[in-house]
Amino acid sequence: MRANIFILERCLYGGANMRELFEFGIDELEKKDIQYGDIRLSEINTEVINVKNGTVEAIKSSESKGYGIRVIDGGWGFASSADLTEQGIKKTIKRARKIARASSKASEPIELKEVDIHQDSYTTPYKKDPFKIDLEEKLDYLMDVDERMDIDEKIKVRKCNFNAWKTKKFFASTEGTRIEQDLIKTGGGLGVNVSDGEDTQTRSYPNSFGGDYNSRGYEFFENLEILKHAEETAQEGVDLLDAEQCPEGEMDIILNTNQLALQVHESCGHPTELDRALGTEASYAGTSFMTPDKLNDLRYGSDIVNIVSDPTAEGGLGTFGYDDEGVKAKKVDLIKDGMFEGYQASREGAAKVGTEVSGSMRADGWKNLPLVRMTNINLEPGDWSKKEIIEETDKGIIFDGIKSWSIDDKRLNFQFGTEAGYLVEGGEVTKLIKNPTYTGITYEFWRNCDAIAGKEEWILHGVPNCGKGEPPQTMQVGHGCAPSRFRDIRVGVGKW
Amino acid sequence: MVGYEQDFEKISEKLEKEAKADEIEVRIIKSDTALTRYANSQIHQNIGQEDLDVSIRAVFSNKTGAASTNSLELDSLKRCLSKAEKIAKYQEGDPDFKGLPKPKEQKNVKENYVKDTAKFTPDKRAQKVKEIIEMAGNEGIDRVYGAFKTESQSLFVANSNGVKKFSRFTSSNLTTTAIADWDKDQGFGWGETCSADVKDIDHIEVGRTAIEKGLNNLNTEKIELGEYDVVLEPLAVQSILMYMDMMGFSAKKVQEERSFMKGKFGEQIMDERVNIYDDVSDPDMIGYPFDYEGVPKERVDIIKNGVANEVVYDSYTAGREDDKESTGHALPMPSPMSPLAMNLLMDTGDYSQEEMVEETDKGILVTRFNYCRPVHPVKGILTGLTRDGTWLIEDGEIRHPLKNLRFTQNLIEAFNNIEGIGEKRKLFAMGYYPAYFAAPALKINDFNFTGTTEF
Repeated sequence: MRANIFILERCLYGGANMRELFEFGIDELEKKDIQYGDIRLSEINTEVINVKNGTVEAIKSSESKGYGIRVIDGGWGFASSADLTEQGIKKTIKRARKIARASSKASEPIELKEVDIHQDSYTTPYKKDPFKIDLEEKLDYLMDVDERMDIDEKIKVRKCNFNAWKTKKFFASTEGTRIEQDLIKTGGGLGVNVSDGEDTQTRSYPNSFGGDYNSRGYEFFENLEILKHAEETAQEGVDLLDAEQCPEGEMDIILNTNQLALQVHESCGHPTELDRALGTEASYAGTSFMTPDKLNDLRYGSDIVNIVSDPTAEGGLGTFGYDDEGVKAKKVDLIKDGMFEGYQASREGAAKVGTEVSGSMRADGWKNLPLVRMTNINLEPGDWSKKEIIEETDKGIIFDGIKSWSIDDKRLNFQFGTEAGYLVEGGEVTKLIKNPTYTGITYEFWRNCDAIAGKEEWILHGVPNCGKGEPPQTMQVGHGCAPSRFRDIRVGVGKW
Repeated sequence: MVGYEQDFEKISEKLEKEAKADEIEVRIIKSDTALTRYANSQIHQNIGQEDLDVSIRAVFSNKTGAASTNSLELDSLKRCLSKAEKIAKYQEGDPDFKGLPKPKEQKNVKENYVKDTAKFTPDKRAQKVKEIIEMAGNEGIDRVYGAFKTESQSLFVANSNGVKKFSRFTSSNLTTTAIADWDKDQGFGWGETCSADVKDIDHIEVGRTAIEKGLNNLNTEKIELGEYDVVLEPLAVQSILMYMDMMGFSAKKVQEERSFMKGKFGEQIMDERVNIYDDVSDPDMIGYPFDYEGVPKERVDIIKNGVANEVVYDSYTAGREDDKESTGHALPMPSPMSPLAMNLLMDTGDYSQEEMVEETDKGILVTRFNYCRPVHPVKGILTGLTRDGTWLIEDGEIRHPLKNLRFTQNLIEAFNNIEGIGEKRKLFAMGYYPAYFAAPALKINDFNFTGTTEF
């Protein structure tokens, strides 16, 4: 018995052209007697460079090609394969149909909301292709960053990284949509782990977990200027060891954009995913307190809170031309003047609830089934400046740099910790504090938002590691926001 | 020898001949995953995925480069090798890298491959899901949720030092969430089972457990926050073990002073009845008998009678210390997460879960935890919430269901406060890696609950 699809002899003589295979695939699907079918074929290239303590921890280049086929044939069926041959396509369609018919044992009729049919293409606007920048140049830069962080023996780990992704994606449906997209994403960052034998702290720039990311070219990485921030970040890491412990109690908090991005992600992004609200993630990611009966009725936040899903936002990590069911990217209101007004919705979900299709169906690579995923979930700018917010805060803490995050499975009770905190007393920043944490209930928290900085301080961050689905999928999403203040929040949780 | 093992050998031989590097490693992972998800008592997602990954590490002296492809086309493989070699040449070298592993005797040759699991059909999965849905409906629960996964994975590793390994395993995993009274009160219940052999999956038992918990979880009440004695079911304990693993059981974390084990070796850090070890050869366990570098996995007694004993190594972290060898716990290299214990077990004790409840004056019974995250990894502080069934225990009896609670707790202190260890343990699949943990129930005193939610 040979390998089920990857027969060496066939593969060693080469596969078919990607575009020809794509055309063959949709032709085959259109011949079948099925309610609906689509094929998504993609080629993904990635480059990772990790430097740690003056040496290369990892440089890896990877490429992955394959396709996923989705059908409605009594129920839903999805099959994916890397067998880039016509025979492979036929076999995968057959598998998807067999799975769909098995689903029909316990499936109601499936309805997809009608959407416009498109034949179009989209390319990420960028200036410098990150894959065409010489590897030596990128590595030399990271080595310089590493050296710049080497300022104190308490720094046990210095790390910095560069990451880039390039995706060529074809999509076609049996309804006639044909989409071709070329997407580029770039990013990186730095961080230190410090220890004095008693305590350990971490500090990163521009954010934790590898920095920041955008749908742009190498110019985005250059503009992060991580070299310029290397020494000050490392020094603040060392300073944290001797900083005071975060106080306990209730006070005003100010979230810097790197932490506020995650707050938006967890407490607005996930609960406004319609699949969660309808229960289809109940056994894994969880459900949502923002159920359809609360649409247009729930006061989610104060009236200055406006949050949108916007895959058209320039440079966002969740920016694209079309989603993975061929729906054109568009901006949708989720929270308007503090009221819950919209969902991130698939065609199937929108048909069930009678809401708008948001263009949010996204799959992790070619291998996985598209799910409702965040695009760029952005908190719209307000009319304050961060300076004004601080000046008008009597006692509070500024939170900066994601460190710990947890929220319940309906997205109500959350607790976050950041790398650093800055105590604000009498309208001034007075001292650095360590292990800062805050906790709350989502809608109470957002109702206490009384100041949002303006567009001059609004930053569109990238979160590259959003998990959801079974088998687990990882998605790259964006969150734009400006520093904001929340009144009377519980801080300093737990015994230290 | 299965057919594609020969194919993989031919590929590695071909690449070794083409290579200009001092050493090369070829790693091929082949997977076929099938998963039926159900929600609102309907099958809503149903998938089949097959893929492979060919990764090449090229080494010039102490400089390594890596590249991967999922294509077996000759051009792709050659391009992959060329990229790995090019990447390696750019570097200045890592003095801690002592070369790719040498061949080592493989004592454990257990293969957890069950053909019936690999060939399990979507029809059979759907039928079992349908039976759970019908059973729930008969009990008045019209909304059950979950996933039934069957998968097979193969790993081939060869390097130019003579390492050549192939193994495969199968896994099947069924979960069920039952939500009673969806439209109003919502009572949550959970059931789960895991085995290499799909015939061991007792879907009726999983469904029944979830349904009973769901029905008994209606009309939840709030409880005052503070420290309570807890009875943690095995799945809740598994979450704690997973985070202990991530926060402390790796040689890299110790070397970088990021582990709560650092400076504690030989010290009693937990209750003396606590034994935590990594052992893929245990009859309960699923996994490859060697790691992603082809090094045989050894049993590592991480916590022995409560004492911080040892941690897991890959070849790189072993090379950083004198007289240390890899214990066979490398992830697919290069990986910032490697090494990692992926077959953790905790020794059982002599308590039944019923006895733990009976001997509790006032406490909380926890089915499982949700969204746990380290608050301070080196201090071992973790936060998370209870999920899918939490109950108040009073005077040795389960009184009533509770709204879910947030804990913020030092795990090392918690494992010092163990009152009882369950007499049975359960195996769970971890999801992200092919990792499997086996955990008993635990009774722990003075567990710190710091928040509550609304359901």
